[in-house]
Amino acid sequence: MFKRKSECQKLEGMLSPYIDGQLSSPDRERLEGHIERCDACRCQLESLRATVDLLHRVPMVSPPRYFTIAEVAPKRRAVAFGALRAATAVAVVFLAFLFVVDAINLFEAAPVEDRLAQQDNATTPAPLGGEGLDNELAPAEAEGYTWPLRQLELALVGVVVVLGGTTAILWHRRRRLGETALRS
Amino acid sequence: MSGRMCLVEEYELIERSRRGDVDCFNQLVERHQREVYNLSLRMLGNAQAAEDATQDAFISAFKGIGKFRGGSFRAWLFRIAANACHDQLRSLRRRPTTSLDALPLELELDRRSLSPEEYAMSQELGAEIRRALSVLPADQRLAVILRDILGFDYDEIARATGSSLGTVKSRLSRGRARLRHHLEQYRELFP
Repeated sequence: MFKRKSECQKLEGMLSPYIDGQLSSPDRERLEGHIERCDACRCQLESLRATVDLLHRVPMVSPPRYFTIAEVAPKRRAVAFGALRAATAVAVVFLAFLFVVDAINLFEAAPVEDRLAQQDNATTPAPLGGEGLDNELAPAEAEGYTWPLRQLELALVGVVVVLGGTTAILWHRRRRLGETALRS
Repeated sequence: MSGRMCLVEEYELIERSRRGDVDCFNQLVERHQREVYNLSLRMLGNAQAAEDATQDAFISAFKGIGKFRGGSFRAWLFRIAANACHDQLRSLRRRPTTSLDALPLELELDRRSLSPEEYAMSQELGAEIRRALSVLPADQRLAVILRDILGFDYDEIARATGSSLGTVKSRLSRGRARLRHHLEQYRELFP
């Protein structure tokens, strides 16, 4: 069996908005009509109003200090980030230069494929008799010193990856925290 | 200065703050810091935590002012402040040594008209209000503080809490009813 809400229970939730003048006209008239007849609800309304009045007496406290903010430039980090960015850029430029050098064979080094083939041959054991070895190594020996471009390129790619990765991480972190540190 | 002039000036300050002008933002801080601090103080009941929450709120506001899409700046700022208070509440709960009701609350009464006995009673009543506020659920406490202590209207509370008007009415109604119930036994102390 359902228990029906009494009129008092139904109107209880209207007391608070009534105090603030937030009830629609029909609701206000309904509540005021009920309060005239119901001592309990009238007491409840007065008690609620007294509580609200009491809260209005809670004073505003002056803040103990100003909360204005100041930019605190993280100088050391900014310098480190700038240096890292510059180093990455220099490494990328140098790497590009090496690739170009390699491509146009500026230092008259053998093309990459040839040098790889030469290195493979050098690491494979020479056949007995050794006649072919003299013939195969002859061009390189004739040219004298060969620039180790491949090793340089690989090393530089490693440097670029490390520097670029660190720069990207720092950049992301700076974006997340804001360009400047703030203190109030 | 008229209210309209104030609003125009505030709009200008907001626009400049969006472009990164810290001095303009600090003028906004000076306008609102008292209310934000009082919200934090009454939400947290702890002066140090209230300072931290206020500071965090203004720093977050400066960082996020680019996302402010117009409307009531005060409501937008108080939404950030309310979030900062929730963060501090979580932090306080993790540090159980810090009491949530460590701060005395004195009512605004004319002390000259009070006898020593009445003054002592008002102190006791202040302590009871603080205690009653501290046991309210955070959403009801926020609504009651914004409405009855800081004097926000319902629309502003709805925007500051990101809720509907109906929810605001309901939270206020339940919060006030619980406060009334808690303070009823001290009714004779009411001024």
